[in-house]
Amino acid sequence: MNFFCLGINHRTAPLETREKLWFSEKEIQSVVPSLRQKQINDCVLVSTCNRTELYYTTREGSANGEPLWKRLAEHKQAVGAVREEHLYSIPSLNAVKHLFNVASGIDSMVLGDIQIVSQIRDAYAIARSLSATGAVTNRIFDTALRVAKRARTETEISEGAVSLSYAAAELSSKIFSDLSKRTALLIGSGETGKLTAKHLVGKNIGTLLLANRTRQHAEDLAALLRGRVVDFDRIAAELEAVDIVISSVDAPSYILSEQDLRRAMKLRGARPLFIIDIGVPRNIDPAANSIESVFLHNLDTLNFVIGKNLRRRASEVPKIRRIILGELIQFNRWHASLEANPTIEELRGRLEEIRRQEVEHHLRRFSPDERREIDVLTKRIVNKILHTPTINLKNGSDTHQTLRDKISLLRHLFGLDRRNSG
Amino acid sequence: MKLPIILCEIALPLLYFATIWVYARAFFSNIRPAERLSTPLLFATLLTHGFYIVMRTAELRHPPITSVFEIFSLMAFTVTLVYACIEWRLKIKSTGYFILILPFFFQLVSSIFIREVSEVPPILQSNLLGFHVSSALLGYAAITISAVYGFLYLMLYHEIKFSRFGVVYKRLPNLEMLERMSFTATLFGFIFLTIAIIAGIVWLPRITQEVSYTDPKLFGTFVIWLIYGAGLAAKRLRHWQGRRMMVLSVFGFATAMFSMTVINIFLSGFHKFY
Repeated sequence: MNFFCLGINHRTAPLETREKLWFSEKEIQSVVPSLRQKQINDCVLVSTCNRTELYYTTREGSANGEPLWKRLAEHKQAVGAVREEHLYSIPSLNAVKHLFNVASGIDSMVLGDIQIVSQIRDAYAIARSLSATGAVTNRIFDTALRVAKRARTETEISEGAVSLSYAAAELSSKIFSDLSKRTALLIGSGETGKLTAKHLVGKNIGTLLLANRTRQHAEDLAALLRGRVVDFDRIAAELEAVDIVISSVDAPSYILSEQDLRRAMKLRGARPLFIIDIGVPRNIDPAANSIESVFLHNLDTLNFVIGKNLRRRASEVPKIRRIILGELIQFNRWHASLEANPTIEELRGRLEEIRRQEVEHHLRRFSPDERREIDVLTKRIVNKILHTPTINLKNGSDTHQTLRDKISLLRHLFGLDRRNSG
Repeated sequence: MKLPIILCEIALPLLYFATIWVYARAFFSNIRPAERLSTPLLFATLLTHGFYIVMRTAELRHPPITSVFEIFSLMAFTVTLVYACIEWRLKIKSTGYFILILPFFFQLVSSIFIREVSEVPPILQSNLLGFHVSSALLGYAAITISAVYGFLYLMLYHEIKFSRFGVVYKRLPNLEMLERMSFTATLFGFIFLTIAIIAGIVWLPRITQEVSYTDPKLFGTFVIWLIYGAGLAAKRLRHWQGRRMMVLSVFGFATAMFSMTVINIFLSGFHKFY
């Protein structure tokens, strides 16, 4: 099959090399037509932070010439930094399989990361808008997008949080059903804490309060996340009103004691309080977890959740491989059925020739009106004769060998080879 | 007895078993076809059960409350009906397995032991009694469901609190939703029990001259009613919620079971017909 993949990814090159070959949408729009000037026919360029991959078909007799990776590197002026060993080249059906693996998320740096699907869809849309795809490439990419959808809906490959901030937000949604009626308090401005707060804002948290020893830091973040700043000294008093606390402070001792939380819980009337302590050393007295309706979790819990989710995703990989195998078999059959096209065309030509000769031979015996009717009638007969063999050859249910045998038999029975050689 | 009734008595435990099996597959293995099949199968079971109750009532010319096994079947039906309403209203299927296991056992026992009562005492033919029993059963069905949700809440509560993130954590709805489901069921249970008690008080003097308000079962039912009433009042006035309310719901159910079994079997009173 004339289909290839040339790529660089997180397994073959470090980030500083990968970023040299990263193409923006605009760059893709300019590089694709230039690649197609020589050697290449169809061309789809997928570029993300973890991979850049060129899927292409070649023109006949264009095997030689400047290596493609060099042309890509030249386009980004990265010839020195990017070397041949950073790239991989995958031919034929393996390239198709590789694309399916990528689209399903099982080739991603974080297993099950499905952001890649939208990037493949965008790259394919750009290529189509540039008329850089043919029937085979279209079929391959349509199937890849279907594989991605099936992986997402038929398996749990992208289920469960696999980052600290997502895991914290996910835990909170196991306690509260409607975050828009809840209040969260972010203490400190550690990176994971900020990301968790961002996820909570993304999940439509009702009110976000921010407290920081340096008030200006809290105010900057409050402006970004549309939150409200509270005094750092008043965080114990605020516990009565908040439902979620994310603490990420660099402090030598606990900033909230068990007594602070007991006092707050007395005022809350058993309303659950969810606390994520991401500080190292810990910011909140772990004894507070013994208080009724207080859910106190720390980095260990989040890492445990992430590990569990990653293991669950890994257990879904065999299911996805089965989906890919099924789609590959179907695609291969479809592709093999394309081999039947020249034979069908020749057979049609042969029958048309016989029809024309016979009609012309007897034409004198009929009036002009009758001749037209006979012409239409005989064409219809030929079409009907050809209909069933055409469908049978192109339905894609045969193995490659069976199809070849059928084509060979057809050519023999209708003398197509003899006719060509004669 | 007519063939359709006998067929239903055989089919119903099988249908309930198939339904809980499908809900279990959807819950524990997250099998999507099982999830899609679960609700249609639930409604097919419910319709078959409804048909069975109507057929039995028409054929035997009395409501199915003349033996403890008829009551069991009616209890299975009411629990399933209340659950189906909750599932339809909240579109949450993941608790079905835990609820429907109860009607399965109720119906299994009923189907095995149910017999036609040759002579129905006149006391059991009163329409007001039918209303009283139906309300009581709906009330008990609702508090049973409330207790199951309460139990699920406590399981999930412990999984989250002590970082044991198993299948319960993965599949159950969140704590707030479970609490809301339990509370809704409690509210319905309390309303139906109140109706049953009022209907009983109206009906009681009509059947016997020696009205005894110290009857053990009457006393037990009143205690159950007080527990749930106190819980609802505490929620309204003292803002009780969360684990405390769920413990109360499970405790109320345990008391109800005690009243229905121990008091019914071991302590005699006028409130015993079977």
